[in-house]
Amino acid sequence: MARSRLEKIGTIYTRTRGLIQSGAVHWDDRPLWYDLYEAFPPLEEPRFDRPVPNVPLKKIFYEEDKIRALLHNRNKQIGTVNMFNNASSTLSKRFIEAYKKLEKQHDGSASQEQLYEETIELLQRERQKQAEMQLEDEQVSLVSSFKRAQEQRERFKDSANIAIKVSDLFKKE
Amino acid sequence: MLTSPAILTKNFCQHFYRTKPIKRLYSALAETQSQQEKPSIQQNVKDPILNHPDYFQVHNLFTVKDLFDARVHYGHKEGSLDERMLPYIYGSRLGHVIFDLDKTAEYLRKALNIAAHIAYRDGIILFFLRGAQNSYLVQKTALECGEFAHTRFWRGGVFTNADTQFGAVTRLPDLCIFFNTLNNVLIQHTAVRDSAKMAIPTIGIVDSNCNPNLITYPVPGNDDSPSAMKLYCKLFKTAILRGKEKRKEHLGK
Repeated sequence: MARSRLEKIGTIYTRTRGLIQSGAVHWDDRPLWYDLYEAFPPLEEPRFDRPVPNVPLKKIFYEEDKIRALLHNRNKQIGTVNMFNNASSTLSKRFIEAYKKLEKQHDGSASQEQLYEETIELLQRERQKQAEMQLEDEQVSLVSSFKRAQEQRERFKDSANIAIKVSDLFKKE
Repeated sequence: MLTSPAILTKNFCQHFYRTKPIKRLYSALAETQSQQEKPSIQQNVKDPILNHPDYFQVHNLFTVKDLFDARVHYGHKEGSLDERMLPYIYGSRLGHVIFDLDKTAEYLRKALNIAAHIAYRDGIILFFLRGAQNSYLVQKTALECGEFAHTRFWRGGVFTNADTQFGAVTRLPDLCIFFNTLNNVLIQHTAVRDSAKMAIPTIGIVDSNCNPNLITYPVPGNDDSPSAMKLYCKLFKTAILRGKEKRKEHLGK
């Protein structure tokens, strides 16, 4: 079958169309994609020599980047961030949220330095609180279970016969 | 690897054993100049399937949020940027190129539509990918939708010298889908050029370091992350299967 292999000239469509027009390829022998290309032409012509578009590459920055810079300039060693973890927010996100909250509370009366220190303090306090809560949770479960066991033991001390029935073990309280 | 030539030649008689061009050549020679037919470009018959902007409903396959979650928006670093990709790019975040997902969605829908239409017309679709990490996924996808995949070293001439290489008249694919358009030494896959030579339309995921010019239906987006690759595979598989299903339905009538 007639074919033009000059991929640097025109597009696959214009070359095939030329062949059909000149009679080298019959209309019935047009390629399977020919009608599709006419019905759904690509958004840009797929030409080899398409010129480089004159579009500037813009820099992406956000309003809160100033706050982010405040944190990261002072703390170079923050550690790695697990990007697969969607459950907890990152340190810089928490910092930005706390900073913005404090900024609103002070209503523009506090300096950047002051706000930074207050935010760090706030975050540290939150962290401590969380750590304590976790510790408490653990202690409660250990101590309370021990106490409960002791109480039970004392209750049964009077009765000489400590009979344990297997069926009692599976009773619901 | 390219699957066996026996399968590749399915329906090839439909395309290669037509004698019309030869007949026409003789008749054209016999005719006098004045009697010659007008150039044979015809208008397409009003086809309701072709006139429908989205016959296979591929627009509902994904949302921009899905693209974002699959990390399609991540490009390479600014230094490796190919300037021909600039119109598809949203900007550079601290040296990393970020794609404009609204544009990606538009191009991807266009590409999915074409894939579904080619499948509907019983075209052969060939998936390409270089890179060990995702090649199994692409091969599996091709298998699942009954098409072909080539994820290994590209021997020159598989398209351009096919008849000799396979020892028979070979039907080439009707659509090539490149899940990445670079080979593993970061120059353009030879099959991109070869497809253009053999007039085969191509769909290609083009990352920020690729050249989109020769790709018929480029899709700007991340071509490295497994999550993005999974999404592309799922989308193209669904689109192709929709095309095939409709074909079965219409043939069954």
